[in-house]
Order: sequence, then structure tokens, then C-alpha cells
Amino acid sequence: MKAGALELGHASKVTSSVPKSGVNRGMSILDLFIRIIAIIATLGSAIAMGTTNETLPFFTQSIRFRAKYNDLPTFTFFVVANAIVSAYFILSLGLSIFHIMRSRAQASRIALIFFDAAMLALLTAGASAAAAIVYLAHKGNTKANWFPICQQFDSFCHRTSGSLVGSFAGVILIILLVLLSSIALSRR
Amino acid sequence: MEKSESTKIDVVETNKERKGKAPLLGTAAPVVAAATTAEHAKGGAKRGIAIFDLILRIAAFASALGAAVAMGTTEETLPFFTQFFQFEASYDDLPTFTFFVVAMAIVVAYLVLSVPFSIVCIVRPYAVVSRLLLIIFDTVIIALATGAAGSAAAIVYLAHNGNQDANWLAICQQFGDFCQRASGAVVAAFITVVILIFMVVLSASALRRH
Repeated sequence: MKAGALELGHASKVTSSVPKSGVNRGMSILDLFIRIIAIIATLGSAIAMGTTNETLPFFTQSIRFRAKYNDLPTFTFFVVANAIVSAYFILSLGLSIFHIMRSRAQASRIALIFFDAAMLALLTAGASAAAAIVYLAHKGNTKANWFPICQQFDSFCHRTSGSLVGSFAGVILIILLVLLSSIALSRR
Repeated sequence: MEKSESTKIDVVETNKERKGKAPLLGTAAPVVAAATTAEHAKGGAKRGIAIFDLILRIAAFASALGAAVAMGTTEETLPFFTQFFQFEASYDDLPTFTFFVVAMAIVVAYLVLSVPFSIVCIVRPYAVVSRLLLIIFDTVIIALATGAAGSAAAIVYLAHNGNQDANWLAICQQFGDFCQRASGAVVAAFITVVILIFMVVLSASALRRH
């Protein structure tokens, strides 16, 4: 009877520890999945902004009416920031896979949270700066005498506005990643 | 016959158990004492991190408040005017600066409201839910503050340098004081972001269970 009670106690300990590591593993797999989507989003944004090139069909003798992303330094910063964040996500895929295999790793999770927060700041800065310029290009500013260039460069404006969507989606995904990592850290 | 054998075996077992139990009890006491002191040390480390987090929160509050006030009180009127209008620049002439002031005001309000949660983390070092809440909301506020700072920085850069291809004039050459104030506000907002990132990493390192 004593042996039977001991066996029951041991079995209950085993069954209570399995769901915890199983949930942690599930969250690590979800983390990997979100990271892959974020790679696609930020890379798409960088490519969409980087391949803008619109030439208007009329020109004068001295100047040609052309709009490219590197005419505006803010858009250059946007492309560079998205490229850096995309490269970081590709590199962090390895660490994410490591977390799937070893769900109890803590120091590497904290390092991942730190880098995710830093990349969040970089990506949001690039996306918001480009959004400010796109808003200005659409509306202009009468007080500063800034003309809304979207009235002439229609396709350029559409492309730049569309590439902002992927970048902001990446921002939301990074916030989700930090949430997942911190929950997994607190559960252990 | 069988019953007497079983009772004999039982007696032998209980004697062995008693012999086995005494040294176990002797070794159990110092192990338990060591465990409690280790727990106190870990709780003390978490409490220290929480106190540092509160100090950083107050610093971030000061920086964000400075940014919001500096941008919100920009108003410069040039000393010359024509017959029809006066040359003045204020933060609400540019919608991006309005967004900056509103977003920094939200950041300031959040930092004030999160001080009680930080105090709870100091008082109870093992509270997981409040630390988790702090991390999540701090991350969202990082995104908001960086959004405000980045967009205002883009407009300030444009105001300083202009853009020849888009035919946008650099207005800072006329409104010097306005530009300086706006640039200072953007710098203060970025300092807030750096402090917030540091706070998130601190909360994460205090979350882990040993």
C-alpha cells in the first residue's frame, strides 16, 4: 500500500510538469513563426521603397522631373532601417530555434528581449519619419510654403505609402515577440 | 505463521526507517536554512532592480515632460510683417509637431500611472503579474514615443536642410529660435526612449525564476 501511494505521488509530479514545458515550447514555436512573418514584412517594405523610380513624361531643357527614394534622405534612412531589422530577424531565427529545443534558457531570452526592444525603436523611428514625410508629400504645408509633391508624382506616392504598411506591421509583430518572450521567461 | 512473519518484517523495517530518519533530519535543517538565505538574497536582488526601475521611471518622466513642454511652448513671431499677415511659427502649424506633443503627453501620463505598479514590484519582489504588465505596456510606450520622436526628427531635419528636388525651403533660416526649441524637444524624446529600453531589459532580468 505504501509503495502504491509512492507510485501515485511520483506519477502526479510527472504529469504536472509536462504541460508547463509544453506550453513554453508552443510559445517558442509561435515566436519562430512570427519572426518569419516579420522578415517578410520588413524585407518587403525595404524593397518596395528602394525600387521607387518615377519619371514624369514631360521635361524642360535643363531639368528632368524624376522622383527616387534617395531624393529624400528620410526615405534613405527608412530603407536602411528596414534592411537592418530584416537582417537582424534572419540572424535571430537561429536563437529562436535554440529556444524551441531548450525551453529553459533564460540568459539568452533576456538578450533576445534586449535586441528586440532596440530593433523596435529603430524600426519605429524609420517608419514614423517616413510617415511624416509621406503625410507632408500628400498634404503639403501652406505656412512653410511646402508644395504637396504627390499631385505630380502619383505612382511614387502610392509606392511609398504602401511600403509603410509592412513596416508598421513589423512594429506590431515585434511588440508581440517581446510579449511572448517575457511570458515564457516568467513561466520557466 | 504468515502473520507473525509479516509482523517481524514490519518491526525490522521500522527500526531501519528510524535509523535512516535521524541523520536525514539532522542534514535537513541546515539545507532548509541555506535555502531561505538564498531566497532572501534573490528577493533582495529583485528588490534592488525594482528600486532602480522606479528611479529610471522618474527620470524618463522628467525627460518626456521636458520634451512635451518644450515643443508645446514654441511660438516665434518674426519682427517684420507685411500688410496682410504676420510671420509666425507655432507647433500647431505642423501637424507632425501636434502629434508629437499629444504622444509625449500620453507617455508622461502613462509613466505617472505606472509608478504604483513599480512600487508594488518593490514591496513584493516575487510578483510576476505586475512585472509582466509593466514590460508589456513599457514596450508599447517605447513604440509610441519613438514614433513621435522619429516623425518630429524628420520634419526638423527637413526644416534645417530643405529639399531641392521637392522644392521645399529650409524654414530654419528664418525661424531660428523655433527650430532650436523643436530640435531640443526631439533630443529629449530620444533620451526618453533610451531610458525606456533600459527599463524593459531590467524588468525582463527581474522576471526570470531561479
